[in-house]
Amino acid sequence: MTDFISSLIIPLILLCAAFLLAKGRGGYFDAFTKGAFDGLKTTVNLIPTMVLLMTALSMLTASGATELISKYISPVCEKIGVPAEIVPLILTRPVSGSAANASFAALLDSCGADSFAAFAASVIMGSSDTVIYIISVYFSGAPHVKRTRHAVPVSVAVMLFCIFFSCYVARKFIG
Amino acid sequence: MLGKCFFVIVVLSLVFALATGNISSLAGAAIDGAARAVEIVISLVGMMSLWCGIMNVLKESGIIEKLSRCLSPLLRFIFPNAFKSGLAKEEITFAVSANLLGIGNAATPFALSAMKKMDDASKSPFATDDMVMLTVLACSPFNILPTTLIALRRAAGSASPYRIIVPVWICSGVCAAMSVIFCRAFAAASRRGKTRRQSVAAPKADMPRAPLRAEGSALARETRR
Repeated sequence: MTDFISSLIIPLILLCAAFLLAKGRGGYFDAFTKGAFDGLKTTVNLIPTMVLLMTALSMLTASGATELISKYISPVCEKIGVPAEIVPLILTRPVSGSAANASFAALLDSCGADSFAAFAASVIMGSSDTVIYIISVYFSGAPHVKRTRHAVPVSVAVMLFCIFFSCYVARKFIG
Repeated sequence: MLGKCFFVIVVLSLVFALATGNISSLAGAAIDGAARAVEIVISLVGMMSLWCGIMNVLKESGIIEKLSRCLSPLLRFIFPNAFKSGLAKEEITFAVSANLLGIGNAATPFALSAMKKMDDASKSPFATDDMVMLTVLACSPFNILPTTLIALRRAAGSASPYRIIVPVWICSGVCAAMSVIFCRAFAAASRRGKTRRQSVAAPKADMPRAPLRAEGSALARETRR
């Protein structure tokens, strides 16, 4: 049932957009091309950061460091229900979106796109965000503020909860 | 920041490679990683430009505006101070709706101008409750359609790339709700602490705040109207 909903949502949104494109007498078509071109630019702008980070992650994997680290971390992780392969993703997720995308892509490559670790990682990626980056950008808009009060503790706590909860939900769906 | 990350990772992998004798595979891995990064981004391009195009159509047709109007009762509960004073109300509504649709990049300019307005109004070194709420909500947005993830999963050869949508709804919904609850709890606790301190020191009228219960009843009155 949920798989059915999941595969229906994209066609439904496309139908809605197609309806608007047909109705709008050409005006919305320009809006589409403009938006699509912006999306293209945003994505291409990802390349430099992605190249740097994928190179670094690939070297780290080849050096055997990842294997060694996860060998030590995995007993702890397994106990709390988090697959050890996710650890690099958890470390990069709060700092940078493209770094997290790079570790996510590396994880999909190494564990297989349909493995449990990949599924749990997908849910984590989908329900958390670049906490540290967002807080620093948002408060740069408020120059008077020197104390962010509970912004950091709450968002970090929610992020940690998100990691456990994602693994729990993923297990319910895949297990 | 990322430069330092890169430095640390490269040094780590050199040390580990020397220690484990994997040094011969290191150069090849670096080249493969760089090539793989471009491959991944290219596989994202189609989905991202399609999605951004559709988002722009929805924006121009006014659907996003309608959605933000539907959201305003909920936002009235989440941002009671902003909605009571009308300060930065539109910006907050747009920023939250954009985060809801997964276009965080579009949310940032609205969020920044909302932060600026609230900052100019309070001029306090302490962030106001609404500022913190806006930031924390942006950190755990409800995610309707995780397009990048779906594209990445498909590129990696997943048999069912869409399967994550419902679990992501559940998880991001619960996390967003937790952010709101935590923020309100912290705000209420600090307000209680402040009134206790202020009964000793001279009261300062920099941040006008009603106690939580009075706020709740004002909210109830407003929604009834």
